[in-house]
Amino acid sequence: MLERIPSIRKAPDEEYYVPGHRTCAGCGPALAYRLTAKAAGPNTIFIGPTGCMYVANTSYGCGPWRVPWIHAQITNGGAVASGIEAAFKVLARKKKYQGEIPHVIVFAGDGGAVDIGLQALSGMLYRGHDVLFICYDNESYANTGIQTSPTTPYGAWTTFTPAGPAVPEGKKLFPKDNPKVVAHGHPELKYLATASIGWPVDLMNKVRKGLNAEGPAYLHIQAPCPKGWQFPPNKTIEMAKLAVQTGMFQLYEYENGEYKLSVKMEERKPVAEYLKLQKRFAHLQPEHIEKLQAFVDARCAEVGITVPAVASAR
Amino acid sequence: MGKVRRISGCVAAANAVKLADVDVICSYPIRPYTGIMSELARMVADGELDAEFIHGEGEHAQLSVVYGASAAGARTFTGSSGVGVTYAFEVYSPISGERLPVQMAIGDRTLDPPGDFGSEHTDAECCRDQGWIQGWASTQQEVLDMHLIYYRVGEDPRVMLPQFVCQDGYYITHILGEVDIPDPSQVKEFLPPYKNHHVLDPKNPMIIGAQIEPAMGPPLQYQRYQAMQAVGQVLREAHEEFARIFGRRYDPFLEEYLTEDAEVVIFGQGAHMVTAKAVAARLRNLGEKVGVVRLRTFRPFPTEEIRRRMSRFKAIGVLDNSVNFGISCNGGVLLSELRAALYDFGDKVKTVGFVAGLGGEVVTHDEFYRMFRKIQEIAKTGKVEQTAYWLPFEL
Repeated sequence: MLERIPSIRKAPDEEYYVPGHRTCAGCGPALAYRLTAKAAGPNTIFIGPTGCMYVANTSYGCGPWRVPWIHAQITNGGAVASGIEAAFKVLARKKKYQGEIPHVIVFAGDGGAVDIGLQALSGMLYRGHDVLFICYDNESYANTGIQTSPTTPYGAWTTFTPAGPAVPEGKKLFPKDNPKVVAHGHPELKYLATASIGWPVDLMNKVRKGLNAEGPAYLHIQAPCPKGWQFPPNKTIEMAKLAVQTGMFQLYEYENGEYKLSVKMEERKPVAEYLKLQKRFAHLQPEHIEKLQAFVDARCAEVGITVPAVASAR
Repeated sequence: MGKVRRISGCVAAANAVKLADVDVICSYPIRPYTGIMSELARMVADGELDAEFIHGEGEHAQLSVVYGASAAGARTFTGSSGVGVTYAFEVYSPISGERLPVQMAIGDRTLDPPGDFGSEHTDAECCRDQGWIQGWASTQQEVLDMHLIYYRVGEDPRVMLPQFVCQDGYYITHILGEVDIPDPSQVKEFLPPYKNHHVLDPKNPMIIGAQIEPAMGPPLQYQRYQAMQAVGQVLREAHEEFARIFGRRYDPFLEEYLTEDAEVVIFGQGAHMVTAKAVAARLRNLGEKVGVVRLRTFRPFPTEEIRRRMSRFKAIGVLDNSVNFGISCNGGVLLSELRAALYDFGDKVKTVGFVAGLGGEVVTHDEFYRMFRKIQEIAKTGKVEQTAYWLPFEL
């Protein structure tokens, strides 16, 4: 049983995601990985589907993990994890493996969790494997040079959704809400939450709750990407916080059929305050921002965030 | 000694998996291989086999599940047919590349179109160059035996490669044959427990499947190539041991039938060769010097064995039960590879291809007679007018 971490000062000193990787300056997903590994501890196996956290982390003889890590295809993180979990279960039962059964964590990007990897994720959850599946959501196929994924926000520029005279808003579709896709169709699911690198203690405790649950758990972590979102690398945490404060990303746990909000908010900031700091939204016209604000208001209401969006005093 | 039962190829495969004490099985239904999984599910439900039986959400998941399980130290089994085999294609190379000795049964089925359930080797042959050991059984007994032999060869520390054990859909998967099911103690003597030295274990952390730089590409692939090169010798040893323990002896590479003084032979693999042998026997009764050579190991392709043992024939007809549109010589992959293997013998050995039995259609005795006649004509005249014939349209 992994204990609750009361504060950042009381978090374990030990690191299991250590220097030796080649992520960009200000990388949000790398920080998410570090916090996850710290919370999970030494008796852990990571499955890394193809994505930034595969390509930028591994090179021959040089990887940042102090625990076992295995590559999965971008398609199949959930299935590979299912096999690993099942193997330890049966090998222990048949007395072919001695020792504590390790935590099994998939650390997949939004492509590997929400798009091409969704089938394997759903299969794993449906079958009830005792695995924590984490989606680190940087809202694009970043490793391949920033292409749209299903979690890319409406209106965002990517190389596959450029803004132009015929398509002034760039991306025209609204993002897929994977925590809800996961939450409402998998009877074996034992724990679901969203997290943000802007709230590191909350993130680590959600990792631990997911691992303590006996059965499948899903954690969706928003992890800003300076390169893809086009903001300076020293603004990553600020961007993560603003995403939550504007309601662009909602922090909650979903337990026993109820959304439990993780952050108390008196009011929300308008999405415009978030958008203006990221060049991926630079082309948006007021009508696009209005459309996005309405969408965010509705999505917040779904999970019980009812406080209004109020512009900051200047 | 074991007990003799009349069982299908599917049930024979399931019995081998049970005898191998497999730890993790991953299923997905598609005809005609499905019966293997139904039988294994029954064995698990009845408490005859202690294994995790996982219902994959597709063939891609099946291969992914056993990839993970094998890396965690489990002996694994999966299987498929037809378009299921090709749906999983992405995962074949990662499995052999990480040197995970996963085993997969293929009950052959045609790809779509025509979408029927008929047997055709196209599905399994599509995967031929992915670093998997691959061979075809031609009887239910051989199915069981081949599964056991392949586990031993694939898990050998000199090899560490996955294996496809192929059987023709329906002709073997669904038809009953007499099978001597060995005693578990014999299998225990033959097949040591699976031991992977590069296993996921928090006590000894390692990275499996790291992305590498181009400079590491050639040595990495060369190691996989060398592993495949080592299979031949390990297969020989395994067949020797198999004969000693179980009393059944197979040639690891080529089964020769009535070839001693044969002038012409038909070469092919799988269940259709049973028909070919019946026709060869009849022609022998008429005093004709014909025989059959059945390929047992398709990957690695036994080039040296073929050069040494098949260059003595005047003419060889090659039966391909698969589609290979646009391939050299217009036959199939067996024709192409046999010709390549015998290239140095030039005109001394004539070859001709036959494409037959597509979509699961029966290759009849009459068709085999016509094939033998064509090969004999080529041996006599020394002329190959057409490199390959599609039956029944062109011959």
